[in-house]
Amino acid sequence: MSKTAKIDVKDQNLLGALRQFLKAVLDQEAIHAVLVPWRLPMKNMVMPTLITDPERLERVDPLSPAFPMNGAKVVSRLTRKATGRKVAAMMRPCEIRAFVELVKLKQARMEDLLIIGTDCLGALTNQDYFKWVGDDMDQATQTFYTAVLSGKGEGLGDVSLAPACQVCEFPVPAGADLAVGLFGVNTSDELLIEAQTPQGEAFLEALGLAGAEAPSGRQQSIDKLVAERTAARDEMFVRTREATDSLEKLTRYLANCVNCYNCRVACPVCYCRECVFVTDVFDHEPLQYLLWASRKGAIKMPTDTVFYHITRLAHMSTACVGCGQCSNACPNDIPVMELFRTVAHQTQRAFEYEAGRNVDEAPPLTQFKEKEFEEVVGIS
Amino acid sequence: MSRKIGTALVVGAGISGIRSALDLAENGYGVTLIDRAPHLGGLLSQLDYQFPTDRCGMCRMLPLVNRDASSQYCLRKGLFHENIDILLNTELISVDGDPGNFEARLRQTPNWVDPALCIGCGLCVDVCPVEVPDDFNEGLTRRKAIYLPVPHNIPNPYIIDFAACTRCGECQKVCPTRAIHLFDQERGRFRILVVDDEKIVRDSLKALMEEEDFRVDTAESGAQALDMLAATPYQLMLTDIKMPGMDGVEVLQKAKELLPDLTVVMMTAYATVETAVEAMKLGALDYLIKPFEPGQLIPMILRIYQGLETAQALTLNVGAVVLSGGTSFYDPKTGKDTLGYSTYPDVVTSLEFERILNPMGPTGGKLVRLSDGRPITRIAWMQCVGSRDLHENADFCSSICCMSAIKEARLAKAKAGGDLDATIYYMDMRTFNKSFQRYRDQAQKAHGIHFQRGRIHTTVLDRKTGELVLRYTDINGKIHEDRRDLLVLSVGQRPIPGMEKLAETLGIDLNAWGFAATEPFSQTRTPKDGIFLSGSSSGLKDISDSVIQASAAALNASRTLHAAGGHLSPKPSPAAEPMDVFRQLPKALVILCTCNGALAQKINLNDLAAKAASDPSVAHVEVLERVCTAEGWDQVVEQVKTVRPNRLLIGSCLPHVYARKLRKLEHETGLSSSLMEVVDLRTPLLVRGDALPDPALTSTAEILSMGLARLKRIEPLPPVTVPVEQRALVVGGGIAGMTAALAVADHGFPVDLIEKEAQVGGNLNWLSRTLEGYETKALFDETLSRIEKNPLIRVHLKSRVIDAFGQEGHFVTSIEDADGKMQSIAHGVTILATGGNEAKTTAYGYGTSPAIVTQKELAVKLEDKTLDPAQLKTVAMIQCVDSREEPRNYCSRICCASSLKFALELKTLHPDIQIVIFYRDLMAYGFYESYYTQARKAGILFIQYTPDQKPQVHVQDTKVVVRALEPIIAQDIEVTADLLVLATGIQPALPPNLAKAYGISLDPDGFFLEADSKWRPVDALKEGVFACGLSHSPRSITESIATAEAAAQRALRILSHAQLTAGKIVATVRHSLCSLCEQCISACPYEARALWAEQEKVVVHPVRCQGCGTCAAVCPNSASVLLGFTEQQMFDVIDAAIGSAMCS
Repeated sequence: MSKTAKIDVKDQNLLGALRQFLKAVLDQEAIHAVLVPWRLPMKNMVMPTLITDPERLERVDPLSPAFPMNGAKVVSRLTRKATGRKVAAMMRPCEIRAFVELVKLKQARMEDLLIIGTDCLGALTNQDYFKWVGDDMDQATQTFYTAVLSGKGEGLGDVSLAPACQVCEFPVPAGADLAVGLFGVNTSDELLIEAQTPQGEAFLEALGLAGAEAPSGRQQSIDKLVAERTAARDEMFVRTREATDSLEKLTRYLANCVNCYNCRVACPVCYCRECVFVTDVFDHEPLQYLLWASRKGAIKMPTDTVFYHITRLAHMSTACVGCGQCSNACPNDIPVMELFRTVAHQTQRAFEYEAGRNVDEAPPLTQFKEKEFEEVVGIS
Repeated sequence: MSRKIGTALVVGAGISGIRSALDLAENGYGVTLIDRAPHLGGLLSQLDYQFPTDRCGMCRMLPLVNRDASSQYCLRKGLFHENIDILLNTELISVDGDPGNFEARLRQTPNWVDPALCIGCGLCVDVCPVEVPDDFNEGLTRRKAIYLPVPHNIPNPYIIDFAACTRCGECQKVCPTRAIHLFDQERGRFRILVVDDEKIVRDSLKALMEEEDFRVDTAESGAQALDMLAATPYQLMLTDIKMPGMDGVEVLQKAKELLPDLTVVMMTAYATVETAVEAMKLGALDYLIKPFEPGQLIPMILRIYQGLETAQALTLNVGAVVLSGGTSFYDPKTGKDTLGYSTYPDVVTSLEFERILNPMGPTGGKLVRLSDGRPITRIAWMQCVGSRDLHENADFCSSICCMSAIKEARLAKAKAGGDLDATIYYMDMRTFNKSFQRYRDQAQKAHGIHFQRGRIHTTVLDRKTGELVLRYTDINGKIHEDRRDLLVLSVGQRPIPGMEKLAETLGIDLNAWGFAATEPFSQTRTPKDGIFLSGSSSGLKDISDSVIQASAAALNASRTLHAAGGHLSPKPSPAAEPMDVFRQLPKALVILCTCNGALAQKINLNDLAAKAASDPSVAHVEVLERVCTAEGWDQVVEQVKTVRPNRLLIGSCLPHVYARKLRKLEHETGLSSSLMEVVDLRTPLLVRGDALPDPALTSTAEILSMGLARLKRIEPLPPVTVPVEQRALVVGGGIAGMTAALAVADHGFPVDLIEKEAQVGGNLNWLSRTLEGYETKALFDETLSRIEKNPLIRVHLKSRVIDAFGQEGHFVTSIEDADGKMQSIAHGVTILATGGNEAKTTAYGYGTSPAIVTQKELAVKLEDKTLDPAQLKTVAMIQCVDSREEPRNYCSRICCASSLKFALELKTLHPDIQIVIFYRDLMAYGFYESYYTQARKAGILFIQYTPDQKPQVHVQDTKVVVRALEPIIAQDIEVTADLLVLATGIQPALPPNLAKAYGISLDPDGFFLEADSKWRPVDALKEGVFACGLSHSPRSITESIATAEAAAQRALRILSHAQLTAGKIVATVRHSLCSLCEQCISACPYEARALWAEQEKVVVHPVRCQGCGTCAAVCPNSASVLLGFTEQQMFDVIDAAIGSAMCS
């Protein structure tokens, strides 16, 4: 049984090929619905949408640079409890990785789910997307994927990929049941479908697609892309560390924050039902504010701003997948993603952990290891 | 208060004593725990890390259920339990009366430092001019005459060494709390009468004591003495026993009639010790053996003097006595061959080496030579120094030294970072407890420790290099030289000083070497009913075995107390109605202690009081003198009764000391002690000399407001209780199961005993005798008849457990009988005693000849006479068959003893029989050693083999030929035997599905996995499930019975309460915030959390929760809350600490 197959692309219509593929998936007896990026009828926006009617697949657009939210949270809502009905969810690699973290945190389940990943062409920030997209969405999407797949980036005008996408070293899905390959593939003729799990293999067989080997140049072009992104990422780490390596600098970095907590709402792995910062824990006595003020002479209101970000770093930097939705959501242009990725890189390395890598890998701090950080805890 | 009936006395507060005391206290009895030392912990206070875990963990002995009754901090530092009175510096003098109603007389050595006043500042040490060797470091360091007995105690008052103190008075002058009293009584008023017919004795005693400022008179006869006593009220009389006319005993009796409070010390030559002991029963305090040294006499007189001034001899009424006096160790100095000990500083005992490893030890924990401070790179251990040595009258094994030497080598290796050559010289490596063989193998393979069979016979010093040159003979008689930086002598056990005297006064037996002896099949019973042995007084044991024996002793003591009924019950005063302060605004009473004025010298107390009073939640602030004294405390109680606060904050010193007082205050006033807090204002100001306090230290105002912040936010919820099904279920009807069932039923609780076979008895059905010659049939018959007669025990034969669920206090077990009939039983505790069997084998030609049998087969054949020993000319035995190597890499502990038993029995019946035993390490641990000696004397041959060169066996007609390398002559030999007996060891019979049903785990060999192999040896990690007998570990019958008694005792801690009380600090869940990520469930180390799937809620089992707070730490959004440590509370405390809280 082949692990890879191909879909033919007719008339260089990549979207059309993908829609055909999704239709074939939805036609499968086992699949009850598909969750896909879908063009809203009322506005030129793309949103994750749950579809059961094959007719509606005509508006599917997984190649659009719109990325209004990380879909992991949506998929978590669909899979939190057993339904007995299988959904095929099309996700970007960072969405899959966030979803894997949510599964570990018991906020979602892998059962009743078929994950379809795509090679990620990247996305624009919400603001850039609205500026850029125009009225012809078919044209916009085609311009975008052509620009990205050609490797030249021409045709995007004065916008560029979102900062998170520019430093993302995971453009290719891992751990999806089925993965759509675009990089290093002659997309004018075909798309690559790869099964990454036993479930995926079974599906691939059921779909009856023609078997195919991955093109010889594919791995090379992925490696090149990852190398470029990693280099950009490391430069970003240096810049961010320099900007945040003292409490004073960190306070300046976060000075625009108005405690709106949008970043937390946008974060796919921030899974608390109610953030501790909006509970009574931080509902200080009115007198307390006055005491703080009199101790320091002046106190910025609202309080607990840096505390909030540090708490979020402590809670989820080990689960951060770098999707950049936090920055996307910030109304005041704080580079939240850069801060989180920089810290996450270090915390995850410290625990030899990589968010989203493997669903069987327990998150750090949930398990006791006797011999861990002996130099920190002072016990050996 | 949960005090039920009766009180017990536990003598000796090492780990066994602590275990026995805690067990009895947890059952609800009152306990008096005494120790002659000024500290708890016994030997273990000197050892930081113990095998086989290479760490401590003593705190795991603390109660998990109703834990608020006890202290919850490091047990090596101290212990508090509401049912335990601890008396240190106290010895047992005598016990009279009957089980259930003894009168125990105790002697307390008081001290010149009042422990209630000493705050441990250490100013006295700076000025003390006297230096003597420090016992705590085995004499390797020096200390002052005023000193801390151990560095880490809580509380840790200084004490004065009478013998060393010159009474210069410097310490008294500098003591800030006036805790030291050297001269407050004039010795001249203490009048002593010396009665002796020998003038030289009278005069020398008079001179000696007058030098110490006592007033001494003498009398040359009993008659004269009585006249003098009639005329003058003397406080102390020293009288000779053997005198013409009236003898000393008569003088004693008549003197006591005249002056009942007179203290009398008998003087005697050695020959009349028995009379002296008699005299003590008649009221003498003690005796002195002539000739005596001044160094002995004067401290004794001083003790008596002090004792009379501050405390009378204490008499206690107790229902049962547990003796856990521990052991002493052999002093190589006293031996014939010292191996350079006390000549070369780098020859040390194992205990001294433990202190060298310790940071408080002589080298600050560095591995350097004591002689010249150079780094140690090569250490040798010499085993069996003072053990297994007939010349030293030590025909016993000390049981723990092999393991402790391995541990010391492993610790030394770790300390040296691996760059250390560690070699252990040994005769047999006795690694006979459950996990010990693997520990040894790991030491050898992973840690690179060398094991060398042989004995060092000479130690000389190479003066050029400072190295020790050790000469030893290997097994082939070849002499070798080995150069080492350090030689550690693994010294053996000796009875504690005074053991003989104690045994005589109490009427208990000693064995041939002076250790306490027990009754057959018991590790704890003595000939004296109601007096039980615990711990190493009956021979040294490792921690696990000591703790088991201690719980067994507690069980038997508890049985005595229970049988005696309630006539000794201490009557607690009725508790005040609990004050309901739920939803009330905080109304705090703040008490500030002046610390005898010392605090007022450093800070402005009025300012502090005013700051505190400015906090809206403070109702009243009171400044009191010396809250630590009884009078001071009375004022606190008065204040609480007057102000009626709902929070109490005390600013003083040593908060740990107040635990008990706060409990009492709760009892008297109804204010929950969880709403009381004591903060230490004194320590930050504790600066020697005139230096200013360290500015880095938190200020007193901040400390006080931190305490207040904590108190304000405490939610005063009533403690949760969980009902207990007061019934036990025991699975397995062997001797362990039967013993456990009886032990529980004897306390009045019903027991269901489940046995899969058609009859109970297990292995007792085929065993007949023990190595000691005790008949097992008698044991079986007696136990069975007690089971049959006990109406509380229901025996379910041919039955098995199908399934079970539940937790401590409430389990439900389904059992099925032979007819397939199901039955459900609700019970509060589960005891697993499913036993074990002799392991099967295919090794050494087993199965190919009727002449090759296992040990069990031999026993059966001898018993049913299918084997006639008279027909046997040669018998071979092979030990460790399929054992002590992977996959069954453990010692079965009883096979060596069994082989010795069979060999000695056969040899006794037929002296001409030739017996050859092939062994690896002969596990004749403890007092079994003497049978090993006996066997060798009887001509039984022992040939050692190694696992890589096992004996070869082939069958020749009706005979079996065993061929093996004889290491002493280094040649192969052949033994043609009529019978080959294989010691195949024990395999557990604990089915995994049974373990799963009760939520417990098995170890890699299928035995019960303990919650902690050292400290909770019969408990499962899941509270409420216990194991004993062979399913727990390979053991002799006596040892199995001890595990059964221990398991029953641990079960009774739960059964003896109708309700289990949760701690005041437990975790809860705020369900509205919980996102069900279950991180808290996997993080909880006590399995106290579970997902209630139907309700979609995470629930906490309040009794199981130990309030550790791990769940709260792991929960990202405070859905998991630790009551008493909420986040708001912690924020307030932090604010207080950095000075932005109310009263700063």
